[in-house]
Amino acid sequence: MQDDLGLIKRLQKQDSTALSELYDKYSGALYGIILRICKNETIAQDLLQETFLKIWQKSTTYDPKKGKFFTWSYRIAKNMALNAMRNPNTLIQNQDLSVYNNKTALDAETDVLQLNGSLKKLDPHHQKAIELVYFNGLTHREAHEEMDVPLGTFKSYIRQALKKLRETYQKEFIILWIIIEITMYG
Amino acid sequence: MDRNSIKHTGILEQYLLGELSKDQQLEIEKILIEDNELREYYNDIERNFEKIAFENAITPPDTVKTRLLNKIDRTDKQVIPIQKSNTSSVLLAVAASISIFFMISSGWLYTQWQDSKNSMTIIEKETQNLNERIVTLEKNLNETNKWYNAINNPNTVKLILKGNQISPSSRAITYVNHEEKTVILNPKSLTKIDDDQTYQMWADVDGEMINMGIISSDNKMIAMKYIDNATSINITIEPKGGSDHPTVEKLIANVLL
Repeated sequence: MQDDLGLIKRLQKQDSTALSELYDKYSGALYGIILRICKNETIAQDLLQETFLKIWQKSTTYDPKKGKFFTWSYRIAKNMALNAMRNPNTLIQNQDLSVYNNKTALDAETDVLQLNGSLKKLDPHHQKAIELVYFNGLTHREAHEEMDVPLGTFKSYIRQALKKLRETYQKEFIILWIIIEITMYG
Repeated sequence: MDRNSIKHTGILEQYLLGELSKDQQLEIEKILIEDNELREYYNDIERNFEKIAFENAITPPDTVKTRLLNKIDRTDKQVIPIQKSNTSSVLLAVAASISIFFMISSGWLYTQWQDSKNSMTIIEKETQNLNERIVTLEKNLNETNKWYNAINNPNTVKLILKGNQISPSSRAITYVNHEEKTVILNPKSLTKIDDDQTYQMWADVDGEMINMGIISSDNKMIAMKYIDNATSINITIEPKGGSDHPTVEKLIANVLL
């Protein structure tokens, strides 16, 4: 999948309509990550805004040759959220801090945070491994301790999880292709 | 690290998640540029992770986008003061270049001034030298004029005194003016004598030698005493300071009037 290179070039030239389009495309996926790390909607919304502000300000440091735009944005969002968790009082300014103590907005237990899609088809330990490193922002080292398995085992969990996901996506693609073929020629 | 071990260490996943140190990160970036197969493998991981993220997307409230775009609008407007500071830095640069220009030009003017001062001193010295030369020249001219007028007078008689056997190569020229009663002598061609001796001039009046004066060796022309009724002019060599009476044995030249 080729990223929207034209869109990104416009962003790098500080075209705010490009930022708006990229926001429409990626904000949901990034918000999903941020919210699962910090588990508080108010904070997560501020962090999402800060993430896109940083994407806007640092856009010229993104190099398409090194990887996908989403991967780059993901790293910004994740670091932003992890920093906010470490220093809850300093990172987000211009806000009434008492808001953060008000947990009525959202709790970690709500359904929103449940993982969806192909991940659900994975074995529970594979699903957990991906969740820890990808959605909770843990490092491999922290995550293998959390799961209480050796680091090497944990790494192979991740690898196997990704392999299974790939197979699932390929199947979905073939099914989709068959459906298209049938509807067009059937 | 070979291709397979890179795949199996899970380092690419850690790279994607941003867990690597700066050095490791650069190393992986380099490997991914060089190795197409690994690149493809990594692209797959990226696609999968992205897909998971999209499958688990949560739609944020619209207010976030509104706030974000407002904030960017404001920062855009804040660009203007930044531009202002740019112009002020441009002004600063202009002011700095002007002051540098003045510094350089005043330095240049200072050296010019010093040069002029030196030239002035040299010129002053030269002027002084010239003045001194003019004074000397004037003095010389006046003297020469005086001698010239004296010599060029129609009443002046030129007499040459030739050296005798005592001083055969000596010559002296006298200019005698009986009207104005002056005697001028050019002793230049008299043979050089010892420092403790001097030439002296005498007038013969009825067999008696009367002193006309000592002939100093450094002068070109000398005025001697005019003696009335003299029949001849004589030159003798005398001890330094001159004598009251001539040493006749040392008579070197004479001429009849």
